[in-house]
Amino acid sequence: MTAPISTAMDSLSAALKSNIIPNQEYLLQGSVLDTSVEVLLHRLRGLCDNVDTGPEPFYDHEMCFSIRRGSPQEQPLLLRVRRALDAIHSDMPWQLRYIGQPELGDKSRPTVVRSSIDIATSNTVVEFLTELGCKLDFEYVTRGYMFRKGRMKITVSKIFKVNQGKVPEGVPEMISQSYLVELSVLAPSGQDAIAEDMRIFAEQLRPLVQLEKIDYKRLVH
Amino acid sequence: MQREEKQLDSALEAIIMRVNDLKTAIAAMIFKIEHEYETLNWPNFLDNFALISGHLTSLSKILAHDKAPNLRNLTVLPLRLSPEKDEELLRLTEGRIPTFAHDLVPDYLRTKLEPQAEQKMMQLEAKAANVNIETSHKQLTQYTKVIGHVWDIANKAREEWESEAGARATQAQTSSAADTHALLAAVGMGKGLKSDSIQMVQSGVNSVNNGMMVGRPGNQQQTPGQGPMGNPQMGQMNKAPSAIKTNIKAASQIHPYR
Repeated sequence: MTAPISTAMDSLSAALKSNIIPNQEYLLQGSVLDTSVEVLLHRLRGLCDNVDTGPEPFYDHEMCFSIRRGSPQEQPLLLRVRRALDAIHSDMPWQLRYIGQPELGDKSRPTVVRSSIDIATSNTVVEFLTELGCKLDFEYVTRGYMFRKGRMKITVSKIFKVNQGKVPEGVPEMISQSYLVELSVLAPSGQDAIAEDMRIFAEQLRPLVQLEKIDYKRLVH
Repeated sequence: MQREEKQLDSALEAIIMRVNDLKTAIAAMIFKIEHEYETLNWPNFLDNFALISGHLTSLSKILAHDKAPNLRNLTVLPLRLSPEKDEELLRLTEGRIPTFAHDLVPDYLRTKLEPQAEQKMMQLEAKAANVNIETSHKQLTQYTKVIGHVWDIANKAREEWESEAGARATQAQTSSAADTHALLAAVGMGKGLKSDSIQMVQSGVNSVNNGMMVGRPGNQQQTPGQGPMGNPQMGQMNKAPSAIKTNIKAASQIHPYR
């Protein structure tokens, strides 16, 4: 009788306190030219865990929503919705994701760290967000391959433009003549050792791809 | 007489030192082959050879020196042979020769080659003497030719290898920083992805403005009014006369410097 009734909120905050929720994303990014992507895929096939099954293809649509918090000067909150477009993954739930500001840290830190929280949702999440007052900021389609190496995830993908919420048929317009390459690990906060593993892995892909800590602030101009 | 003896002593001392160096070098190499054959690599092994050949060179340098006594003119005479075990001798030879007896002395004090080797040498010398000059010349040229071929092949291989290494250094670019930035700006902030229609209008205005700026660097005041209204056609119309204007201006600018 005296035992407190535990709520979902309580167990969530308890989990947060004991650092078991993987809410930190360790990230390195780079790109590879279309002409060299085959070489990179080949190398990844050899380096990564899924040797027997081959790389996992994906074809996703990502929408980025923003909502103002208070004053207009403040940075709007960004939420990303992602869904699979290919037939194999059509029964997969949609994904809602929050990504925080990336922390670059100093030179001793091998990767960017940013907070990342994601959750599976139903396909009505877009309506839900719109009702909340979120505005569709931009969207794109990403198509490529995913590899795994231990806890590390490596994606090699092409980014395409999306027109008026519809994925253009035929040859869609793509961003640059390169594939985006991302190396990431989701981990609970404080597990900095994984970053060193990532640095070593990134080293193995040089000089084919330069996986680096990219400063987003430098991209705004 | 005494001076000569002293010279001989010092020369012998130097020679013994060199021979000892040589001996330790050979011993080290044998040790390496026997104990480190699993980890031994070629460069290391060749270093050993280089060391030995260095010792040999310095030894032959001493022997060829003017002041070195002509060892050929000296004789070593065994004065007393004994079948008894000689501890001192054993120590001096590092345990190799226990007795100074009649069965071992001829081998150790021999100054000529081994009988078998000597015979072989004699045979070869006789054969060399029998060959007439013409055939020997022929063989010589043939030999040089073969060596030349091998030399060419080695050189060619080296050139290929070097050019390959060079090509690897200047390997074609496989990634571009500009593309990375473009992709990340697109994925992270929607640069170039935000609603197409707005983008088109903006770029249209930009091109009109640019055209005007190129055309009339002097009178900017007129452009802001026209810019936003300006459709691509107007931009085109403005461009043509402005180009002429620039020409005139450019020409008039040249004059003062003449």
